[in-house]
Amino acid sequence: MKILLFVLQFIFIYGFFLLGQLMRELFNIPLPASIIGFLLMFSALSLKLFPLRFVESGATLLLSFLPLFFIPATVGVIEYISTFAGKGAFLIVILIFSTLLTMAASGWTSQYLARKTEKEQGVE
Amino acid sequence: METLSVAFFFIALTFAAYFLLNLIYIKFHYSFLMPALTATFIIVLFLLATGISYDTYMIGGEWIDRLLGPAVVSLAIPLYKQRKLVLDNVVPVLAGIFVGVVTGMSTGIALAKAFDFSHLLILSVLPKSITTPVAMEVSEQLGGIPSLAAVFVMIAGFTGIILGPAFLRLLRIESAIGIGMGLGASAHGIGTAKALEYGPQEASISSVAMSLSAVFGSFLAPVFVWIFFL
Repeated sequence: MKILLFVLQFIFIYGFFLLGQLMRELFNIPLPASIIGFLLMFSALSLKLFPLRFVESGATLLLSFLPLFFIPATVGVIEYISTFAGKGAFLIVILIFSTLLTMAASGWTSQYLARKTEKEQGVE
Repeated sequence: METLSVAFFFIALTFAAYFLLNLIYIKFHYSFLMPALTATFIIVLFLLATGISYDTYMIGGEWIDRLLGPAVVSLAIPLYKQRKLVLDNVVPVLAGIFVGVVTGMSTGIALAKAFDFSHLLILSVLPKSITTPVAMEVSEQLGGIPSLAAVFVMIAGFTGIILGPAFLRLLRIESAIGIGMGLGASAHGIGTAKALEYGPQEASISSVAMSLSAVFGSFLAPVFVWIFFL
């Protein structure tokens, strides 16, 4: 019975992904089909077109296996191993540097704006 | 018939590698033992040792690959559950994510371009701070290489959790919103797992940052390509 519930919820969630694919092709939207599906799902929940419990357990199960799902695509790196030889190794330095800048910029911005709002609300 | 058994073999291999290595990760809990990393490594070694081609592996692999799309759609559910947290901090959250995506993409593309890396590589580096399944789709759409994008995302993730905590302390980013945002916007899912060690609030902010970065990132990636390659 529980398995049947998961299967039904999975089909329902998959439907949103297919809808995303369809919209992407019909309207030439330059977004990944999965992100269009994500936005449709979020909108549908926000508009209360169906209750959260319709998708909740299926989604939680799918997300708990997310790392498994991207293994096959990642294994594809086997065809590009030479990329990391020689000069390519420097690309890793760029990645590390750019990641730290991203962390600093986003973390600092959010912290600064959150404290600013707190202070302003404190004054009122 | 033969294709079917080949497919079954590689699906079983991938599942077995993932579940066994996940047990090891649960036991020891070192980040570098994350099954996404170790299972990929083992399968790559297996293919190299046996001389089986990636195309053959993908006869089975593609069936697992197909679950990525619905899994990304599922990310809408935790975000929906945390909508109150977003609404309560709408300006700091949205501004942090926007600044993060812009910084990550512009510095990645500019540095890779400055050091004369190929167009193909730059388009694979671009989405490094957004969650793997979305990063792969984004790089593919722009003409990059999804598997390389996945590896770059992993490098960004490990940078975030290995150097992140000390770096955040150095910058005096110590509030829950600052830490969660910094980890989620730069190191996506891996960063969110780290944020959980700080506390539930950091983890929620980080998971919000991860899903919204994927949304903002997929909107902005084509714009950056257009600006830098015009």
